[in-house]
Amino acid sequence: MNKAISTRLTFAVAILSLLIFIILWQVIAQQGLLVKNFPGSFKTIGSLIWWVSDPFFDNGPNDLGIGTNLLISLRRVLIGYSLAVLVAIPLGVLMGMSKLAQSSLNPYVQLLKPVSPLAWLPVGLFVFRNSEITGIFVIFITSIWPTLINTAFGVASINPDYLRVSKSLGASKSTTIRRVILPAIMPNILAGMRISMGTAWLVIVAAEMLLGTGIGYFIWNEWNNLSLENIFVAIIIIGFTGFILDQFFGFLQDKFDYSI
Amino acid sequence: MNKKSSKISTSNENYSHLELINLGKIFFKEKKFIDFRSKGNRSGFEAIKDINLKIEKNTFVSIIGPSGCGKSTLLNLIAGLQAPTSGKIIIDGQAIKGPGPDRGVIFQNYALMPWLTTIQNIEFALNTVFPAKTKADVKERARKYLRMVGLEKASNKFPKELSGGMKQRVAIARALSINPNMLLMDEPFGALDALTRSYLQDELLSIWRKNKVTVVLITHSIEEALLLSDKIVLMSSGPSAIISEEISVDLERPRDREKIEQDPTYLKIKMRLEKHLLRETRAVEEVT
Repeated sequence: MNKAISTRLTFAVAILSLLIFIILWQVIAQQGLLVKNFPGSFKTIGSLIWWVSDPFFDNGPNDLGIGTNLLISLRRVLIGYSLAVLVAIPLGVLMGMSKLAQSSLNPYVQLLKPVSPLAWLPVGLFVFRNSEITGIFVIFITSIWPTLINTAFGVASINPDYLRVSKSLGASKSTTIRRVILPAIMPNILAGMRISMGTAWLVIVAAEMLLGTGIGYFIWNEWNNLSLENIFVAIIIIGFTGFILDQFFGFLQDKFDYSI
Repeated sequence: MNKKSSKISTSNENYSHLELINLGKIFFKEKKFIDFRSKGNRSGFEAIKDINLKIEKNTFVSIIGPSGCGKSTLLNLIAGLQAPTSGKIIIDGQAIKGPGPDRGVIFQNYALMPWLTTIQNIEFALNTVFPAKTKADVKERARKYLRMVGLEKASNKFPKELSGGMKQRVAIARALSINPNMLLMDEPFGALDALTRSYLQDELLSIWRKNKVTVVLITHSIEEALLLSDKIVLMSSGPSAIISEEISVDLERPRDREKIEQDPTYLKIKMRLEKHLLRETRAVEEVT
């Protein structure tokens, strides 16, 4: 089959399936097949258009535009995430290079990694007495583990040939780290950062339900207003944002793919 | 580096560039926390032992032996990548303490950094060894060595875009760019097809003639050793491999690939090498 035709066909199929989904949703809601007053797709799309057409209004903390809330969430995620990456990469390199660092830090990593980051929320509130910093703190804890573990693994499994070349040239430790180890493990670091970002974006929604403001709080607020269609609007926007963030890392990973 | 080096008198003998004295290497199992207390009785794998060898300046020496005999270990020791368990390595009258830019190393798998272009791979070596050199200087020198191996046009390509032979030529250019007086090669042509291998062997010989370097080549190919070397060092099968024989190859240079195979001296040495390798390989296979 011609490639252009096949691309067009996939696109057509995607549009068709979306249309079927929207119509089915509308029919089920209208007939009350699920529960009474369940919002249909037409109502939801109407809300989506309403929210998106004026995204940045500000009528006080309980009435913010969806764009404003999204930016608040993104800001928390980006700050907490960036801090986590800044800590995780050097720490991961250290753990990968030194047996001592590995054996002294690994128990903490293994113990803390499986804990839901939300468990840290009360700790953050108690220590910082500030919901903004607590949000950032929770995202920090969320983001640190995948990047840290991937970085350490990357260093530990680096192709020994690169290190032998560097050593045979008499390169210093810092030159070896900067010019050999870090570029060599870029694919591992980016894979870790991608997972970290994915998890951070999952956790921020839950955390914000308890923090006030942000896209997660928007959902909580609309639950209190019993406005399910607005919650669907938020779900669509959260999903779309997460998708964009993930694609960005996919693009970076392709850039740093040394194989083949 | 080379502090507290011991001077070796070279007055009476031929001037040897590299000298190995009672060299041995044992790989011990990794020390566990608990093992710190129990000192003695650490068992290990003895790769090579009692290696004594002298290599004269600007000669081409091949080390040949059955697989797993510790040839690569020997080369790593000379390169300073690993420390010997016993014995000494003397270069230009001084005991080495580690790796150094006086020795260029070429690995079997080329060991080019995949995130750097061809020329950047060479520049990395130059920047590491000569940090004082200016950017333009480094670039010029890297270009010169790429030209020497005939790859000037590939200077902005990444290793994955090159064939195996081209990669190894880049690795040779990188090793020579730092101006070493010794070239250590660990089965450099082992992964290449026969035609590329002969091409690179010829290229290596012409580079060796032009650039006054001592070459130590690890190989398992008898033909390769005979074509290239002034001296062939035979190793016994491991573990605890030793040097069983040193054979000088008194064949006139330049050696013609086709004609040399009819030379009686060539045939005589070849037979001897084959016999030795067969015997040692049999020893390996029958033990395991």
